[in-house]
Amino acid sequence: MLKTFTLETDRNGLYDITPLAEAALDESGARAGLVLVSVPHSTAAITVVSPWDPLGLEDVQDELSRLIPTRVDFKHQYDTPQDAAGHIKASIVGHSRMFYLEDGKLGLGHSQKIFFWEFDGPRKRTVHVKVLTQ
Amino acid sequence: MQEQFEAFCEQTRSLGELVRTESDTIAGRARLLLRMEDVYAVRQIILTGSGDSFFAALAVAPALRAWTGLPVNAMVSMEASRYVDNGRPPRSGRTRGLLVIAISSSGEVARLIEAVQRLRRFGALTVAVTGDNDSRLGQSAERILNIAIPSAGSGPGGRSYVASLLGALHLGIRIAEMLMCMTMEQADRLRRDLVLLNEPLTRMAAQCVEPVAEFVRSWDSVFAVDCIGSGPALASAHFAAAKLVEAAGLHAAAQDVEEFHHLNYFVDDPQRVPAIIFAPSQALSRTRTQELARILPPLGRPYLVITDSADFAPPGHSLMLREVDEFFAPLLHAVPATLLAAHAALRRGSVHFRGLTGPWRGAQDAALVRGSSIESGS
Repeated sequence: MLKTFTLETDRNGLYDITPLAEAALDESGARAGLVLVSVPHSTAAITVVSPWDPLGLEDVQDELSRLIPTRVDFKHQYDTPQDAAGHIKASIVGHSRMFYLEDGKLGLGHSQKIFFWEFDGPRKRTVHVKVLTQ
Repeated sequence: MQEQFEAFCEQTRSLGELVRTESDTIAGRARLLLRMEDVYAVRQIILTGSGDSFFAALAVAPALRAWTGLPVNAMVSMEASRYVDNGRPPRSGRTRGLLVIAISSSGEVARLIEAVQRLRRFGALTVAVTGDNDSRLGQSAERILNIAIPSAGSGPGGRSYVASLLGALHLGIRIAEMLMCMTMEQADRLRRDLVLLNEPLTRMAAQCVEPVAEFVRSWDSVFAVDCIGSGPALASAHFAAAKLVEAAGLHAAAQDVEEFHHLNYFVDDPQRVPAIIFAPSQALSRTRTQELARILPPLGRPYLVITDSADFAPPGHSLMLREVDEFFAPLLHAVPATLLAAHAALRRGSVHFRGLTGPWRGAQDAALVRGSSIESGS
């Protein structure tokens, strides 16, 4: 089963989309298998982070921006500097994550949530959740 | 005379199709024209041109200013060529970051070539918006945005004016997008909105004919015309006045809405001086234009408000257009402006540019504007 969600981002940064994955899972009724969370974008990504301290989420965003700052001298000039940096960030972080499903529950630890990571916001975005049953 | 009239009308009928076919092409050429390092080094922008090209600069400057937040000024080519460098040495500190957008379809206007050459030497980044890359202007500037359009016979310059507007607007949208002053989605929406102007342009070419004809029929012993607008619509006023001068030989002057109250209000013989007001309903100058429309009837001046709202004048004095973004309104205004000139010329029996004969023969082959000597300034 493939479920598609829309997400409107108002800034760059991390958006907790664990409820979307869980909603897709509930709708599927699956008890065991795999859940794939994926985005069809080249300037956004999916990642897993601890959600408990909002400042920790800021650290993650800040560090990636420090490693790949928005610059004006990228070779990719077609859109904007933020778009060019976004392509690099998305390539490194990755456009999807796979989770195991056991007893109807997503294979996430206590300090893990699934996040949509916006690198070129604000934008209208799409998230796909694919449930593969055993 | 009828042939000239038909040519003018045909040109207005072609503008919608021109926008539909050429807007995205020009947008595509603007996309990679400037590098990010160029744009992020810009601290101020000068848009310059002469004649209709200057009016295009005047129309787009407010948009560029609003979209980027940068200081943006439209200058006639004389000011840009001789009153900016003022004899200062090139690349002096305070002049860094100057982007000059020089507009000329032909690319052969001497003053504009002079402006680009001097300002480039002065340290500015110069962009030619022209239909001829091999022209003297094209060869003088560092970058060229080509706005060549399919030819459509002789006419009053409306097609090249619309192409100039499209070129300067698309350059402005791209600069704002690169500076991230607007999102890519907002920029794409503006690009789409420009293309969509083709529909109202095409419809207006038919719908405006009779109202314009009726207005011009009321011009008994008219000896001068005021064309009025503010912001981008001041450019429309200039364009309309220019077409009345060129086509009908009338003394027509453009004036800002505010300035009218200080100056043109006091014109003598008001019944012989019609007023044409360009009044988009979304204009920032809206309320002052409404005040202007109220003072014209007591003066006894024949007047026509070209607008998209019934809030300015009663039906007999309004020519209704489609409501569009204030910054795009000059594109639509080209239609009624051209039709006014066509009807005025027909009524007066005037030949466009006086046929370039008799006292006006010196303007043949655009010699007056192409042959002026270029001063290097050094």
